[in-house]
Amino acid sequence: MKSVLKTTLLTLLLLIASSLAVFAAIRLSGGDVTAARLPASATAEDRELFRQQVGLDQPILRQYVTYVGEVFTGDLGNSLTNNASISSLAVEKIKNSAILGGMSLVLVFGVGIPLGMIAALKRNSWLDTGITSFSVAGMAVPNFWLALILIYIFATVLGWLPSAGQGGIEYLILPAVVLSAEGIALTVRMTRSAMIENLSQDFVRTLRAAGLSERRIYFKHVLRNSLLPIISLAGLRVGQIVGYALVVETIFGWPGVGQQLVNAVLRRDYPVVQFFSLLLVFVVTLGNLAASVGYTLANPRLRK
Amino acid sequence: MTPDPLLDIRNLSVGLRGDGIGYDIVRDVSLSLYPNEVLAVVGESGCGKSLTALSILALHASPPLYITGGSILFEGTDLTKLSPAKMRAVRGAEIAMVFQDPMSALDPMFTVGTLLTSAVKAHQKVSADVAKKISLEALADAGIEDPRRRFDEYPFQLSGGVSQRVMIALALVNDPKIIIADEPTTALDVTVQAQILDRLRELKNERGMSVMLITHNLGVVASVADRMAVMYAGEVVESGAVGEVLAAPHHPYTNGLLSAVPRLNSEASELVPIGGRVPQPNELPAGCAFADRCSFVTDRCRSEHPPLEHHARTEVRCHHPVA
Repeated sequence: MKSVLKTTLLTLLLLIASSLAVFAAIRLSGGDVTAARLPASATAEDRELFRQQVGLDQPILRQYVTYVGEVFTGDLGNSLTNNASISSLAVEKIKNSAILGGMSLVLVFGVGIPLGMIAALKRNSWLDTGITSFSVAGMAVPNFWLALILIYIFATVLGWLPSAGQGGIEYLILPAVVLSAEGIALTVRMTRSAMIENLSQDFVRTLRAAGLSERRIYFKHVLRNSLLPIISLAGLRVGQIVGYALVVETIFGWPGVGQQLVNAVLRRDYPVVQFFSLLLVFVVTLGNLAASVGYTLANPRLRK
Repeated sequence: MTPDPLLDIRNLSVGLRGDGIGYDIVRDVSLSLYPNEVLAVVGESGCGKSLTALSILALHASPPLYITGGSILFEGTDLTKLSPAKMRAVRGAEIAMVFQDPMSALDPMFTVGTLLTSAVKAHQKVSADVAKKISLEALADAGIEDPRRRFDEYPFQLSGGVSQRVMIALALVNDPKIIIADEPTTALDVTVQAQILDRLRELKNERGMSVMLITHNLGVVASVADRMAVMYAGEVVESGAVGEVLAAPHHPYTNGLLSAVPRLNSEASELVPIGGRVPQPNELPAGCAFADRCSFVTDRCRSEHPPLEHHARTEVRCHHPVA
C-alpha cells in the first residue's frame, strides 16, 4: 500500500516535471507557429494578431498556468494549424497507436521468449547460433534502416505487403515487425541467458532426482524462474516501443500518436505537441508501473 | 550368510572427457548396499564420494563427465545402461536423493506443496487430493511439526533444518527402497544435524529402507551408519562394519583421519593433521595414491598400485596394513 502511494506521487511529480520541460522546450526551439496557419502573404500585424488570439504573447509561465487550468477543466485545447479539437483528434490516434504498439509488445514477448527458450534448449547447435546471430543483428540494425530494407524487399520487390498506410492486417505487419525488432532481440538474449543460468541451479538437480520429466522441469520450473528478469525489464521494452513509434509511424505513414507528434513539432503546433508528448510520458510511466506490479506478483518473496 | 545386496556398484569409474583431456575421477569403486542398512561413504572434499553418489541416478553433469567403466546393479538391473525414460522411473520411486544445502536445492518459485505433489504425480497416477494427502504424510514422517502450514509455504520462508526435512519428505513421497543422502547435514547447525540424522535412522527402521550416507564427518558415521567405506583420491581404500573400521583402522589414511578428529574425552590435546595434499585426479602416482602422505611408505608403495584385499574383518587397499 505504501509503495503504491509512493509510486503514484512519483508518477504525478514526473508528469508535472515533464509537462514543464515539454512546454518550455517547444517554445524555446524557435520556428514560427503562424507559418502553418496563415498564408505566406499574411502581414506582420496579421501574425501578431493571431499570436494574441491564441495567447502566445503572454509570459511563458502565465501560458503554462493557463494551460494547466484548462487541462484540469477537461479542455485539451485546439490545434493551432487547423483548429480541430485535440480531444476529438486524440481518440483515433490513440486507438491506432495502441493497435500498433500492442501488436509490437505481443511480438516482443510472444516471439522473443520462445526463441530464447529454443536457443537455450539447443545451445551451441546451429539453431542456437542462428537465433543468437539474428538477435545480435536485431540489436545492431537501426530501425529506420530496417524499415527501408523491409519495404524494399516485401513491398517493392516481392509486392506481398503494402509499403505504407493503414487498412487491413497486412498494413500492420511491417511496422509492427520493425517496431518490435530490437525488443525481440533483447528478449531472446535475456531469455536464453536466464534459462541457461537457471538450468545449472541446484534445484534442477533436485527435481531430476525426484523423477520429474525434463519437459516439466524446463517449461514449468526453469521458465518460471527465468521470467523474473524479463518481467522486471518489461517497462523498458514499453519505453522503447513508445520512443521508436515516432520514427516507425512516420516512415510507414501509420496515423497514430507518433506520426501526429512529429508533424505537430514540425509545424510548431504547441497544444498538440504538449498533449501527445505528455501522453507518451504517461504511457511509459504506466508501463514501468505495470512491470513493477507484475514483478511483485510473480515473485513469491515480494508477494507474501 | 549375508543377503544379496540391494544396490551393487561394481568397479565403477567416472571420468572427465573432452577436447584433449581424459582422466577418471572415480576409479574402480565397488560398494554394496544391503537391505535395511546405513552405509556411510566417507572422505575429504574432492575424493569422488559425491560424484559416485550422483552417477547412481545419472545426475552427474554430462558432458563433460561420463561413466567410463563398471556397472551399478539395482535389483539385477544395470542402471548405467538405462534409457533416460527408464532412469526417470527409477529416480525418486526406487532410489531417492537428499542433497546438501537445502536452501538452494528447492525451487524458490513454488510452494513446498507444489513441489511434493509434482513429485508424487511424476510416479503415481493419483488425484490431486490423494497427492496432497501423501505429501502431508511425508512431511509428518520427515519430522515436520505443522505439515499443513508448511505445505503452503515457499522455500524462502523455511529455516535450514525445515528445508532439509522438506528434502527428506520429497525423497519419501514415492516410498523408495533406497535414499542416498549427500552431505545432508553439512549446511545445518549441530543440534539440527543430530535431529535430521536420527530421523533418517528411524525412517530406515520404520520403512525397512537402505540409506547411503555421503559424508566427511566421522562423528556422523559413528552415530548412524552400520557399515562404512573410506574413499581417497577416487578409490575405496578401506571398507567394513563401522565398529571394526573405527576401532581398528588398517589403512594409514583411515588411521590419519581418526587422529584428526577432536575428542572431548581424549587426553591428547593436539590434533594430528595428515601432511601433504590429495593428488589431483590427472596427476596420480603409479603406485599407491596415498604414498606421498604416508609415514609407512616403502618402495613397493611407490611402484605397485595396491588392490583392495581382505584384512582381518575389513577390506583394505594397502601393501602394509596397520595392525
